[in-house]
Amino acid sequence: MWSSTREIAAGDLVIVWMTRDNIQPLVVTPGKDFNSKYGNYRQADFVGVPYGSKVGSPSGKGFVYLLRPTPELWTLALPHRTQIVYIADIAFITSRLNIRPGSRVIEAGTGSGSFTHSVARTIGESGHLWSYEFHEARANKAREEFTRHGMTNIVTLTHRNVCKEGFTVENTVDSVFLDLPAPWDAVEHAKKALRKDRITRICCFSPCMEQVLRTVAALNEAGFTEVSMYETLLRPHEVTQVPQPQLIGEVSSGLKEAEKRREEKRLRQIANNKARLAGTEPASSTKRKRGDERDARLADEISRRDLNPSDGSPGSKRVRTEEDEGMEAEADITTVSVQVDMIKADENEGKLVADESRMEITTSPSSPTPTSRISVSNALPEVRGHTSYLTFAILVPFSAPSGTGEEAASTIASELAPTPGASTTAAPSEAQDKSSVVAS
Amino acid sequence: MPPKTKHRKDTSSHQYDLRDVVIQAGDCVLVQLPSGDITGVKVDSNSTATIKKFGSFHTNELIGQKYGNAYEIQGKRLKVLPPRTLQEVEDTEATNEYINDGEFVQPLTITEIQALKEAGVHATDIIKKQIELHSSYSLKTEYSKEKYKKRKEVKYFRTFITIPPTLNNVCEYWFLKDQARIRDIRVDTLSQLLNLANVKPGGRYIVVDDASGLVVSAMLERMGGEGRIITIHDSESPPPYPVMTNMNFSPETISILSSLNWATADEEYTPILPPTEVETTDAKSERQKSRLNKRKAMTNHLFSTRKELFDGEFDGLILATQYDPYSIIEKYAQYLGGSANLVVHSPYPQILADLQTKLRNYPEWLSPSLTESWLRRYQVLPGRTHPLMNMSGSGGYLLHVIRVYDDPEASYTKLYRHRNKKTKADAGDSSTPVIEGSSTLSTPVVSLDEGSYHNEMQMTEDVKLSTTM
Ligand SMILES: C[S@@+](CC[C@H](N)C(=O)[O-])C[C@H]1O[C@@H](n2cnc3c(N)ncnc32)[C@H](O)[C@@H]1O
Repeated sequence: MWSSTREIAAGDLVIVWMTRDNIQPLVVTPGKDFNSKYGNYRQADFVGVPYGSKVGSPSGKGFVYLLRPTPELWTLALPHRTQIVYIADIAFITSRLNIRPGSRVIEAGTGSGSFTHSVARTIGESGHLWSYEFHEARANKAREEFTRHGMTNIVTLTHRNVCKEGFTVENTVDSVFLDLPAPWDAVEHAKKALRKDRITRICCFSPCMEQVLRTVAALNEAGFTEVSMYETLLRPHEVTQVPQPQLIGEVSSGLKEAEKRREEKRLRQIANNKARLAGTEPASSTKRKRGDERDARLADEISRRDLNPSDGSPGSKRVRTEEDEGMEAEADITTVSVQVDMIKADENEGKLVADESRMEITTSPSSPTPTSRISVSNALPEVRGHTSYLTFAILVPFSAPSGTGEEAASTIASELAPTPGASTTAAPSEAQDKSSVVAS
Repeated sequence: MPPKTKHRKDTSSHQYDLRDVVIQAGDCVLVQLPSGDITGVKVDSNSTATIKKFGSFHTNELIGQKYGNAYEIQGKRLKVLPPRTLQEVEDTEATNEYINDGEFVQPLTITEIQALKEAGVHATDIIKKQIELHSSYSLKTEYSKEKYKKRKEVKYFRTFITIPPTLNNVCEYWFLKDQARIRDIRVDTLSQLLNLANVKPGGRYIVVDDASGLVVSAMLERMGGEGRIITIHDSESPPPYPVMTNMNFSPETISILSSLNWATADEEYTPILPPTEVETTDAKSERQKSRLNKRKAMTNHLFSTRKELFDGEFDGLILATQYDPYSIIEKYAQYLGGSANLVVHSPYPQILADLQTKLRNYPEWLSPSLTESWLRRYQVLPGRTHPLMNMSGSGGYLLHVIRVYDDPEASYTKLYRHRNKKTKADAGDSSTPVIEGSSTLSTPVVSLDEGSYHNEMQMTEDVKLSTTM
C-alpha cells in the first residue's frame, strides 16, 4: 500500500499540499502537467524528489508540498462520493474493535473508502478486510482506487446489498463495522460472519438516536453483549500569541495620577479665580478647557486598554499623552515597566507566588522591555458538534442458547449450566472442553 | 544491512497473536468484579490466585481458557457462567407512588445473612429470600426491581469476568486506576495519536514515553512485530514500562523495541562502557567468559542502536513526555525522513501552544495543529437512553505536524506581490486574531473562511514565518 521509498517515482500517488484546505491526490505521470493557482508544474519534475519536499513552480510563482500519502491525508484529499468517517471516529472505532495487524475485518458500506484505507494500513498484509457496497458505480470507483493504491492483497471489495444478501464469509472475521442506514438488518448476517472461537466485536455508526435504539434491540436479540454507546469529537484549538494581560497596578497608578492632577487643577482654578476676582490676572478659559479634555481622554484610554488587552504591546502599556503640561507628575507613570513573568509557579510548593524582585521601575527609555507576548490556545469557534453515535457490542464465544435470553440475563442465571455444545462454536476447543469440565 | 529491512519479517508466515484470545501461563489477567472494579491477577501455573475480599482459586482453572468468560468462585474452583445479555425490562404500571422514602427495611438482618452464608446457602437464594421478604418489592417499578437485584448481586455474588488484554481495555484500566501515571492519555486520544503518527507494521519510530509505557505498548500492538521503535528515556537502565505487563506481549512483538537514554542517544557523546576484553593471559573462567560475552553483546547492541538512530530516516517522532518537547525536537528532528509525522501529547494545552508558536518559526514544520478529544458514553437501556452522568474531563491534547524539506527559493511572494499591500494592512491589525494552523489533519469540517485563509498564505515573508509554517 503506497510507496515506502525515500524519493518519488513515476506512478506513485503523492498528496499535493497547497494549503490546509486545498490538498489533492496525484498519481505522478511524467509527460503531464499539474496546474493550480499555486503554480504550473511538469509532473516529470516531481520524479526523484524526496517525499516531503517543498517544490517551487518553474516560473518561480508559487510552490506546493509533495507529501507521502497516509490514510489520514487521504481522508482529507479523497474524492467524496458519500459522507465519510473522519479521524476521531475512525481512530476510536479501530481501538474499540481491537483492529490490529493480522485482524480480519468486515465493513459495509464502502462509501468513499475513508475507513477502508485506515483499516487496511492498520491490519497490514497479514490481515484482511472485506468491504461491501451496494451502489454499483461507487463500488467500481472504490475498486479502481484500491487497485491503484496497491491494496488488493488486503482488501476484497464486493458489490452487494448486505442487508438482503449478507456477507461473503462465515465464521471468519474478528470485527464488523456497519456504516449504513439500517444496520439492524445486517446484525444477524454479521453474527454469521464473525468467528466463534473467540470474542468478536461489532460497531454500528448511526447519526440518529432512533437508529441506535433499533440497533441495540437487534444486537440484544442476536445475543451480543456488553452493548455500549459513545460519541466522540475532535476539538481543534487555534494557537495565538497575545500580549500578557496588563496588571491593574499600572492602571491604578494612572488613575491616581489623574486624580491628583485634577485636584491640582481645581486648586489652581480656585487660585486663578481668586486672582481674577482680585483683578490681578485674567483667566485663560481655553487652557482650562484643554486640561479637562486631556484628563477625560486619559481616563478613557486607560479603561479602553483595560477592556481590550490585545491592543497594546508592552510599549503601549505606558500612559501616553501629548500634553506637555504636568509632565513632571507623569514622568513616573511613563517609565513603569512590569515584567510579565513576575508571577511564576513555585514548583516545590505547587502554588502561585509573586516574585516581587522581578517588578522593576525603569527610568531609562533605552532599557529593553521584554516582548511580553504569551501563546494561548482556545477551541475554534465553529466546529462540528456531532458526527454519529457509535454503538459497540461483543459476541462471546458461547452465547446462551436462544430462547433462554431472559433467564440468562437474570441474576438467577447461575443455575443454568453452560451448554457449550449448544453454542455456535465451529469446533469445540480445548479451552471449552475444559470449561465444561469445570462447570460440571 | 540497511535498517529499513532489518526487522521486517516474512509476512506470509505471520501468525495471528493469540495473546488476547486465550489465557496462558504467566499472563497478567484483568478481571472485572460485579462492582465494575477491574483488578489484575497473575496467572502462573500450579498456583493460587487471590482476589482481595473476594476469594482465591487455583490458577490452572484459568490457563487455556478463552477471555470473556464469567466465573463464579466456588471453594477454590471456578464455575463458568453464560454471558449476560441486556435484558428487556418492560416498564409495568408500577410507580414509586406508594413507596415511602426511608421506609425501606432490610428484610434480613446482617446476622441472619451471615448465618445463611455459613450454612452454605447460595447467594442466589439469599437474594430470593430477601426479595420474598421485601414487603414493597412488588410495588417497585421493573426498573427499580432490576436495580435492587443488581445491588444485591454486587454484594453477594462472587463472580468475575476475564477481560482480554486489548489495547482499549488496558488503556481504560490504567486510566481508571491511575490517570496521572499515564499522563491523562485516554483511549480516544491514544487512538488518535496512533493514527496521526501513521503507526503501522514496518514503520520506524522514535518515541519518548513517560506515560508508564502506554504509548510504547500501543505502538507495539499496532506494529505486530514488524518495524522498529527506539525509545529514549532518562535512566541508566532500560525503563520498566509497567503498562506492557498487562499486554502479555510475545517476545517477537517486543523484539522490535530498543532503548537509549538521553546520554547514549546523544550523537556528540561517546558512551563510557566497561571493557569487553580483559588484559590477562590467564585462562578465563567460564563465568568470566560468559560475563564478558554478555557485556560484549550489550555494547554491540548499544552501538548498533545508536547507529540506527543517527542514520535517521525515521517515519515519526512521538512524544508523551514530562520534558520540554522543543528541546527534544531540536535534537532529534534531524533523524526524521521527509513527510514524517511529529505527534506530541501533553495533559496541558499551554505546553503545546508554546511548542506550536516555536515550530511556526521553522519552515520545515508544515502546518501544526492542536486538538483535544471529547468522549461521551451513553446508557442504552430500552426507554432509558441518556448520556452517563459522569464523564472524563480530558484525555489531554495532541499536537501534530508534518516534517518537510524546505526550499527557501520557492515562495508565494512573486505570485502575490501585487496583493501584499492589502494583506499587510490586514495583518497589521493585531486586534484580529490570526487564524492559523490549528486545523490540519484532524478538522476537515471546520469552516475556515477561504478568503481570509488565502490572504495568510500570501503574506509577506515576515508575517508568513509566524503564521503558516
Ligand atoms: C456513509 S457511506 C459509508 C462511508 C464510509 N464509511 C467512508 O468512510 O467512506 C454509506 C454507504 O453504504 C452504502 N450502503 C447503504 N446500504 C447498503 C447495503 N444494504 N449494502 C451495501 N451497501 C450499502 C451506501 O451506498 C453508501 O455508499
